Amino acid sequence: MFDIGRFPLLSLITFLPLAGALVIVLIPRARVGAIRWTALGFSLAAWIASLWLVIGFLPDRPTAGHAFQFVEEASWIPLFGIEYKLGVDGLSVAMVVLTTTLTWVSILASFGPIRERVKEYMISFLVLEVGMLGVFVALDLFLFYIFWEVVLVPMYLIIGIWGGANRIYATIKFVLYTLVGSLLMLVAILATAFSYQAATGSWEGAFDFVKLAAFGFDPTFQLLAFGAFFLAFAIKVPMFPFHTWLPDAHVEAPTAGSIILAGVLLKLGGYGLIRFAVPLFPDAAERAAPLIIVLSVIAIIYGAIVSLVQPDLKKLVAYSSVSHMGFVTLGIFVFNEQALQGAILQMINHGLITGALFLLVGVIYERTHDRTIAKMTGLGGPVPVYAAALGFFVFASAGLPGLAGFVGEFLVLLGTFAFNPAVAALSALVMILGAAYLLFMTQRVLFGELSDFLRGLGHHLVDMQPVEILSVAPLAALTVVFGLFPGLVLDLVAGSVGAFLAAVDPALAVAAGH
Amino acid sequence: MTWADLTVIAPVAAAVGVAALVIIVDLVRPGATRPALAVAFLGLAGVAALTWWTGTTPGTAFGGSYKVDDLATFIDLLFVFIVAVSLLVAPDYLGPRGLPVPEFAAILAFALSGAMLVAGAADLLVLFLGLELMVIPGYLLAGYHRRDALSTEGAVKYFLLGSFSSAIFLFGLAFIWGLTGTTRIAGVADALAEVVAGRTALSAGLAIGLALLTTGVAFKIAAVPFHYWTPDAYQGSPTPVTGYLSVGPKVGAFALILRLFAEALGPLASEWLIVFYVLAALTMTLGNLVALTQDNVKRMLAYSSIAHTGYMLVGLAAYAAGQQEGLEGLLFYGAAYAVMNLGAFAVITALQRRPGVTSRLETFSGLGRREPLLGILMVLFLLSLTGIPPTAGFFAKAYVILAAVQEGGWLSLLAVIAVLNAAAAAFYYLRVVVYMYMREPAGEPAPVGHGALLRLGLAVTATGTVLLGLFPEPFLGTVGAAAQALATAIVR
Repeated sequence: MFDIGRFPLLSLITFLPLAGALVIVLIPRARVGAIRWTALGFSLAAWIASLWLVIGFLPDRPTAGHAFQFVEEASWIPLFGIEYKLGVDGLSVAMVVLTTTLTWVSILASFGPIRERVKEYMISFLVLEVGMLGVFVALDLFLFYIFWEVVLVPMYLIIGIWGGANRIYATIKFVLYTLVGSLLMLVAILATAFSYQAATGSWEGAFDFVKLAAFGFDPTFQLLAFGAFFLAFAIKVPMFPFHTWLPDAHVEAPTAGSIILAGVLLKLGGYGLIRFAVPLFPDAAERAAPLIIVLSVIAIIYGAIVSLVQPDLKKLVAYSSVSHMGFVTLGIFVFNEQALQGAILQMINHGLITGALFLLVGVIYERTHDRTIAKMTGLGGPVPVYAAALGFFVFASAGLPGLAGFVGEFLVLLGTFAFNPAVAALSALVMILGAAYLLFMTQRVLFGELSDFLRGLGHHLVDMQPVEILSVAPLAALTVVFGLFPGLVLDLVAGSVGAFLAAVDPALAVAAGH
Repeated sequence: MTWADLTVIAPVAAAVGVAALVIIVDLVRPGATRPALAVAFLGLAGVAALTWWTGTTPGTAFGGSYKVDDLATFIDLLFVFIVAVSLLVAPDYLGPRGLPVPEFAAILAFALSGAMLVAGAADLLVLFLGLELMVIPGYLLAGYHRRDALSTEGAVKYFLLGSFSSAIFLFGLAFIWGLTGTTRIAGVADALAEVVAGRTALSAGLAIGLALLTTGVAFKIAAVPFHYWTPDAYQGSPTPVTGYLSVGPKVGAFALILRLFAEALGPLASEWLIVFYVLAALTMTLGNLVALTQDNVKRMLAYSSIAHTGYMLVGLAAYAAGQQEGLEGLLFYGAAYAVMNLGAFAVITALQRRPGVTSRLETFSGLGRREPLLGILMVLFLLSLTGIPPTAGFFAKAYVILAAVQEGGWLSLLAVIAVLNAAAAAFYYLRVVVYMYMREPAGEPAPVGHGALLRLGLAVTATGTVLLGLFPEPFLGTVGAAAQALATAIVR
């Protein structure tokens, strides 16, 4: 029988898109159709391979410490103990599938809007996928950092070449913000490895996450290193007050860029906090938690209030991301089971729902070349399918029970309540604010008299095309499935949650039943 | 002179021989580029082979004034590489402008012999001789475009400040000689070790000597605030010359620093460490800040070259503070910088093949569409210069930063300054990418064909940039051995 454990499945998933990029390099640039379908084909192949990963993954493995599966290890730079080491736990698997799903959806959603330099675009997108997948499966800190930076370049090009009018400003801001954080993280990674080397006398395993997580660093050192890691991830999430690159990047990015930005890139930050920052430096994380919780609550409230006054559809969704991602960081740093489960669910749900919202904003922008809310009233009449889709995802985003958005935020609030009722109450108020800005927007856009602006478009205002429906449909389906059966995800990540809590405080993990 | 002396000195003699041969070929067949280039490349291959062969048996020659060890071999081979790539790239620029290629090759070969003398110097006089032999060809090259006012201006500035710094440096050497009574590097180290062991404060003479020497080398490596000649010299020089000047003399000057400061002045390390620490911080920061505002790519790369000197000084400071990895990082950085910067200059040279094309940012507009391959290579080199993985530049930066972090304390602050600078540098490197991919050219310049040699130069540098980043392991062994060979007098 074919042994699934030995097959380098993770490498296959991670580098399939790279193979696609190389194939596209060989296709003449005039053959746009072939380029598009090749890109879609390879992203679908990576998606199918990632489903195979879900099937092969065994969620009921013992959860004492970090139990990684599908581990691949190869020596890379032995002089410093740097390894090519990949492996996944439930959290990684969930993130990998989210990434592969959103990538092919984004590529499909780019068929219409991207007509210029299709070859370069598809190559950038596939290389971007390699970087994102690599971050989620790397277990060697050096390797992780390389994938982390690989993400940066294609996103820089995607915003800078195919973006809106102010794209160059936005993309450079995005890169500079991210680089400052990540380079400080590089210093911290090197310092961490060296501390390990100094204590053990050998470079062997000095970049290996599993060994480092079990090491237990000096508290003062933890504080400095955690600070650097936290900054890198907080900028990516983005947490208040490091969020200012986000609205610019989102507004200027092409639709597919926004989908990936909101759907996966922001999750790199949340994933980094859960996987690396907290388990490596638990003491520092606990000491910094109150400050981070305060920042998270500010982000939740601030994002919602700013969303209320946005005149631009895309900016509204972008700021709502700041608010939604605040729940993620809040859920991580109150350190209890429900809140963390909620945070992970929220990451996945936000990826699906906000990704879909950006896609829908892109659909209407294709037809109107405008995103001003005030100009679009009465869309419900001429484009009913579109109106239904927008309404569906707005409700999901506002946290309607039964849809995915609700479960994550609810669990975070539940966990936070156990930690501090006041914080929970404050954050819960925002669910009302969130409903307010989303419903207010929906009311203005979908209902009422058809605006003169839209009437002027005449027959250009067509309803959603089959390709567009096809790209939204899987996201809608998953939103319903995860809303009704959040256990699908929770079972998958149970081991990761247990390991995280055990790293912070062994007593917590016992209390949570692990 | 014995037979053994001759074998040790053979590579240097071969380099001079290559220069002479090229001149002879040029005399026999005036104006013919191909035969001269063929002789030059064959000669360089011979020099490399001889260097490697000599390097297998380390030893000293001429009564201990010149030596061959793994470090000298490393620097020599790196310099041969730099000269070879410069020669690959240059004809495409010099030819269309009517500038003679054979003389260019001969001058570079002379510079190579100087750099080799510096790398193998075991005596202060040989060190100075090598230094001058290395930099004087640089003055000639900077003014190579005789009818170009900018080139002449740059050359004059370079020459004047270079001569002054050489004089200051020589004056410093005189002080050291006067106080230690010897010019042999090992002898100087022994004498200074006694001085340091006996007293706590430095004598006035020694302090002055140290200050003069530091000033002299700071000029040579273009450390802030001794960098003012750099931008003009780099911008004015013909582009392939700029490429050479930004890496060649820098590598040579760092070899000089290692021989002089680590081997001879090692016992005073605690005195000069702080100076190099401050120089590193200033050089990185100022080089980057000024590079931010440049709209000429050559000038921008000149300032960024200053910043890279700063990163290399971080490695030196870490080494002086006691971390072997600092020296390894410095050497690795030198090689990585040579590969990626020569590559970037090769792209600029390719763009400037047609006379009259400037190196302003606008020249790069739409390059990604006009010449996709050239565009991608430029992106690769710029990313490497920024320090984005998986490239040579990233691993080099990680190496020196690791060394600084290992030392801890104030050195880790230097590491933080270095990475913040790297982030700032991303702004101006990526600006070139913005022009290449996100701006359209004003007019549509006709595509220019590229010579086979230039293509080869681009291929070599691009391959090096990728391989040093992805698979540095084989090279790390070489670097480690070279670092180990340094007969350091720094007291641990």
